[in-house]
Amino acid sequence: MTNSSNVRTRTPLAVTLSVWKALFLRETITRLSATRGAAVWLLLEPILHTTVMLVIFTVIRVKVLSGIDVLAWLIIGLTFISVYKRTASQVQGAIGANKTLFAYRQVKPIDSLLVRAFLEGFLALIIILITCAGAVFLFDVDLIPDDAGMVLSGFLGLWLMGLGFGLVCSVAVELIPEMGKIIAMLNMPIMMTSGAMLPINSISEPYRTWILYNPLVHGLEVARLGVSSYYHVVTGTNLLYLYQCAFVAIFLGLALQVRFASKILTK
Amino acid sequence: MIIVENIYKRYQTTHGPSRWILEDVSFVIPKNVSVGIVGGNGAGKSTLLRLIGGVDKPNRGRIEHRSRVSWPMGFGGLQPSLTGRQNAKFICRIHGHEDDIPERLAYIQDFAELGKYFDEPVRTYSSGMKSRLQFGMSLAFKFDIYISDEATSTGDASFRQKAVDAFNNLMGQSSLIMAAHGAGALKQFCTAGIWLDKGRVHWFDDLDDALNAYKDSIGQ
Repeated sequence: MTNSSNVRTRTPLAVTLSVWKALFLRETITRLSATRGAAVWLLLEPILHTTVMLVIFTVIRVKVLSGIDVLAWLIIGLTFISVYKRTASQVQGAIGANKTLFAYRQVKPIDSLLVRAFLEGFLALIIILITCAGAVFLFDVDLIPDDAGMVLSGFLGLWLMGLGFGLVCSVAVELIPEMGKIIAMLNMPIMMTSGAMLPINSISEPYRTWILYNPLVHGLEVARLGVSSYYHVVTGTNLLYLYQCAFVAIFLGLALQVRFASKILTK
Repeated sequence: MIIVENIYKRYQTTHGPSRWILEDVSFVIPKNVSVGIVGGNGAGKSTLLRLIGGVDKPNRGRIEHRSRVSWPMGFGGLQPSLTGRQNAKFICRIHGHEDDIPERLAYIQDFAELGKYFDEPVRTYSSGMKSRLQFGMSLAFKFDIYISDEATSTGDASFRQKAVDAFNNLMGQSSLIMAAHGAGALKQFCTAGIWLDKGRVHWFDDLDDALNAYKDSIGQ
């Protein structure tokens, strides 16, 4: 119709950037308005979760965990674990949710995966800031970080781990739909042993060392240590291990995307 | 111009690979030639359009675009949870038209005639409304070749006339590749024809020959 005289050829980078922007806006709209009160639930979920866990800990009369207030311990654990959990599950479902948009040559499955991961990380950061600010002002919980850089490095590690796991799972569930059930089952023990809800310091050896193979533990412990330098971090915590696992998962995930790119589109 | 060279296509099913939908297919669609694709159900018309549109990849062989080719109009491309307007904006953005979104939206809205449904989620649309929106969206951008899967056969009579007029306006500067069951729509726009039969492609410079070959094959 219009623009017939000046047909522009865009660079591949320009095309990709415009696709990312369009997908980001499209994902944000559906994420925040697809269901009734979707945005409210995003915030309410960690708060309710924390409340339930707090009631349990109060009943068993725990006020301090590993040297910090139990409420602070719970808020960091539950909000930071959902950085991983939500990023992984959103990335896993990205291909299925955007399938109709692959009718446009510009949009590739990998675009939808990366954009979703970015959006989840962004939302998780906002949720953490709001939840923590609320706890600080309303309940006077000491959540002002002693070492903000350390907290951020824990956050980033958990987010990258979620991205890596999601990338691998997205290919798995696209090619073998039954994998979705297995991944859901696998997530249960990963969550239980992450140290988000159950203190790992209370577990005796040699089991504690085994639990340290769960990379998420290291991200959560470092985040708590970053918030309060009085925190008794689990012996053997090693943030580098989390990053190593995350990068292995990301590279494996990207390799699977490349290997099965046309199969995913064809299905 | 579109060059198709020795392409093979089959799909993966739960019971292993399917038969070859397209087998060793080669042809060249010259510049400014509109082509109608004929063939029975399951002959591979949609598959061929998807391959030409770049949505799907052939198992073997090569497809080269030497002009700007639209996305295949009739295949998805609409996100059900978003409104017609949001879908249209998405298309504008991925095509690099961030700066003139309002004008293009106005064109699409005017063409699709969806009324207040333009701001309702696409999942509430009827199939006719969907194809009107898809049609408007693809016409809002300038392509050398438009790929259409029976776009003119959906919608009511007044919309069909509008689609025909829009196509006629495009003739001369752009061409069409379309699949349709009815000979009428094809004859209106296309000069050349492709007859798909048993995984093979038969090219005809004259659409009538393609239609006759197809009719002969089904014994009419």
